[in-house]
Amino acid sequence: MIVKTTDQYRGTLAISAGHARYSLVKEKSIKTVLFFTAFFAVIVVTFILLFLLRDGLPIFVQAGPISFIFGPDWAPTSVEPLYGIFPLIAGTLLVTFGAMVFAVPLSICCAIYIAELASPRMKNILKPAIELLAGIPSVVYGFFGLIVLTGFIRVTFDLPTGETWLAASVLLGIMALPTIVSVSEDAISAVPREYKEGSLAIGATRWQTISRVLVPAALSGIAAAIILGIGRAVGETMAVMMVAGNAAIIPDPVWNILSPLRTLTGTLGIEMGEVPIGSAHYNALFGVAVVLLVITLVINLSAVAILRWLREGRKGGTARRPFSSPQTRETFVRVAGMLLFALLLVIFVAAAPWWLLPMLLLAGGTWYAGRPYLSENTVQRIAFSFITAATLAVLAILVIILQDIIINGLPAISWEFLTRPPLDSGRAGGIYPAIIGTLYLVAGAIAIALPLGVGAAIYLVEYTREGRLTQLIRTGIDLLNGTPSIVFGLFGFAFIVLYLGAGVSMLAGQMTLALMVLPTMIRTTEEALKSIPMALREGSLALGATKWQTISRVVLPPAVPGIVTGAILSIGRAAGETAPIMFTAVVFSSRFLPDSVLDPVMALPYHLFILATNVPGASANQYGTALVLLMLVVGFYAIAIAARTHFQKKMRA
Amino acid sequence: MPEDCIISTTDLNLWYHEKHALQSVSIRIPRNRVTALIGPSGCGKSTLLRCFNRLNDLIDHVKITGTVTLDGNDILAPGTDVVTLRKKIGMVFQKPNPFPKSIWENVAYGPKVHGVKDKGELDRIVEESLRHAALWDEVKDRLNDSALGLSGGQQQRLCIARTLAVEPEVILMDEPCSALDPIATAKIENLIEMLKQEYTVIIVTHNMQQAARVSDYTGFMYLGKLVECGKTVQIFEHPAEELTENYITGRFG
Repeated sequence: MIVKTTDQYRGTLAISAGHARYSLVKEKSIKTVLFFTAFFAVIVVTFILLFLLRDGLPIFVQAGPISFIFGPDWAPTSVEPLYGIFPLIAGTLLVTFGAMVFAVPLSICCAIYIAELASPRMKNILKPAIELLAGIPSVVYGFFGLIVLTGFIRVTFDLPTGETWLAASVLLGIMALPTIVSVSEDAISAVPREYKEGSLAIGATRWQTISRVLVPAALSGIAAAIILGIGRAVGETMAVMMVAGNAAIIPDPVWNILSPLRTLTGTLGIEMGEVPIGSAHYNALFGVAVVLLVITLVINLSAVAILRWLREGRKGGTARRPFSSPQTRETFVRVAGMLLFALLLVIFVAAAPWWLLPMLLLAGGTWYAGRPYLSENTVQRIAFSFITAATLAVLAILVIILQDIIINGLPAISWEFLTRPPLDSGRAGGIYPAIIGTLYLVAGAIAIALPLGVGAAIYLVEYTREGRLTQLIRTGIDLLNGTPSIVFGLFGFAFIVLYLGAGVSMLAGQMTLALMVLPTMIRTTEEALKSIPMALREGSLALGATKWQTISRVVLPPAVPGIVTGAILSIGRAAGETAPIMFTAVVFSSRFLPDSVLDPVMALPYHLFILATNVPGASANQYGTALVLLMLVVGFYAIAIAARTHFQKKMRA
Repeated sequence: MPEDCIISTTDLNLWYHEKHALQSVSIRIPRNRVTALIGPSGCGKSTLLRCFNRLNDLIDHVKITGTVTLDGNDILAPGTDVVTLRKKIGMVFQKPNPFPKSIWENVAYGPKVHGVKDKGELDRIVEESLRHAALWDEVKDRLNDSALGLSGGQQQRLCIARTLAVEPEVILMDEPCSALDPIATAKIENLIEMLKQEYTVIIVTHNMQQAARVSDYTGFMYLGKLVECGKTVQIFEHPAEELTENYITGRFG
């Protein structure tokens, strides 16, 4: 039995050996091209830094770095302009701190519930719900906050306006929730089964196991989750800007959560659109962006470092130290205690009804006195009911937001609303140009980001061994991922609009959005490629296929679903963003569609922002726009999630 | 070894990180025979096998010294075209690894990447390879079905067919039956018996009966060293080394 081959076949195989040199050139050039797509992230980060510094450094020189950063007054438009950003830095820190006080306890309870208590069916409700919460565009959060939350605060505390630190912190807390929940949940779920079984096997209750084994073991992951949440909160622009009141003051007294305040991002969002290019004020805004970028980079890089350390440790196997030393655990508990104390203090000083204090003292007293007499099962019941209540609260937040926008938005939606241009500054007419503009923007953004992202991911997964160069590229991608969207907006304005001369145009917006979603694109593609078993690559290479043949014919086809999912997620993200396009691509009102990529466009998020903040009496159309934007973004996310589950099931089958 | 030898290694050393995984291994593989590599887990037999088609290149932190020659040419030399090398030396893996494509696509993959485009020619190669791997009758009516729907044993024979389709001179088999049941194992063993008329087969196995059944020559490895190598009959009946005898008779540990 011999495989008989015709001469023709033998000939072809022989020739292909002769083609080796040619194919070597091809392989090399493919590798080079892929390298440049990967290195692109580093180039972009460098350019962002360069251009922010180029326009921001003059203010550090003019005002002096110390008086710029620590100056107590921000009054750039007064007769004698003052450029002190200390109140803005303080505003950012205070808002973020408040957001964490609100978000951290809720998120950790919710993560524990999902990881340990939820039935599979409950999990299937909760996880998409959390993802939905993550998918709501920030301008929609801001809109909800402006209409509902600030109103609630104004009435509850009997204030002239509800636009306060409290509103901003609650809203940011809600927005940071999904990040903290999902990363913490991953950390808790990743604790080895043996720990849990070991604890249960010696007769510990489930709550004892959770509180003394699982959560301590997952503590560094949870810490990273909180840091990521902080990063999200610090970098957020639109929502904060819409509800914080934006007075550039430090609250007096400093714990007065009912005072308005202003953040670094908010300052950029408000003033960037109106500043004369090249003025000292313009330079000062870029200086603000530099400070903002530095803060977020430090925050994000530390989270990345923790997560990477965790992942490598886990791969390394047995001999690693436990997740946290007793000291770090103690620090963590102390910090958590301080947060809780701060929360109580703030509530009391600012707003609590008189009866709350005695009630809480009573509850605490009862707990301390009664604790020794409670059985472990009772303790567990109490703990579980707290955790369940927190989870239900998170679900309730989602439901409240969705039902408010759906109930108020549905009546506004009609065929005319979807197909007509706006009239009377958007009070009447429709949002057709904005819908089309948003679709154009995301289509262009993904057309740019997809090839770059896929190329970079292929290079990182298939071509390199971990070394100094990959480290540099990965850091570049991490930095890009942590850059606040408003900074992308400023960079797009300084580099693409002005320096490259694209003008305020659709193209500038598409490029800016593409840079912003690039890290997501790279990361999801990387995950997809890594999930293809090594055995398939070996099988192909062992048959004498070249590297690129192996990648293009064996590795990429099964990775396509993952890549497509990543692309749809990126589209959803890009569709909801306001800050990056605010100064680069959009106009508020236009009766016409753009003729070319160099024309400015309307876009849904920006339209909603202007309607909500600058156009009185457009209530119906505000809600209509919010609903359409929400549906669009959530639609993209739903498709992505459905696609992912579908392919996961198919893979398992 | 008196016979004509196709692959030989001289003083081959391999480090993986700090681990000295192969320690001056010198072995000669005779042409058109079945050579079995046996030894306890972790003794380096799979690592040695993967030196023959340079699949160790894919692994980080590997350092190799010494020479491996195929028909007298050093394949570890930097200028070696590994693509051509791997076309000459096929490999079947421990766990069946069919591509997530149709049965036909799996077998045609190799010829296609080597430039065969004609559909009729590919059809012919696919049929002959599948026949040769004793799989044709079982799959001829469903060539367009996914290969992942086959049983483990069928998948492994498909992987053998896939290897045959590029006409290698040598076939490396890395514990090809360890994931299979006894019936599927018997089929693969029969197949190996037939293959050796045309190919050189090197098989890694930790099943000593299998080595005794299918191979002409056997090498025994222990802790990264080649302890002894010779005719299978001789190794199993009159081993020169005490270590070999202990292993073969099961007195080990």
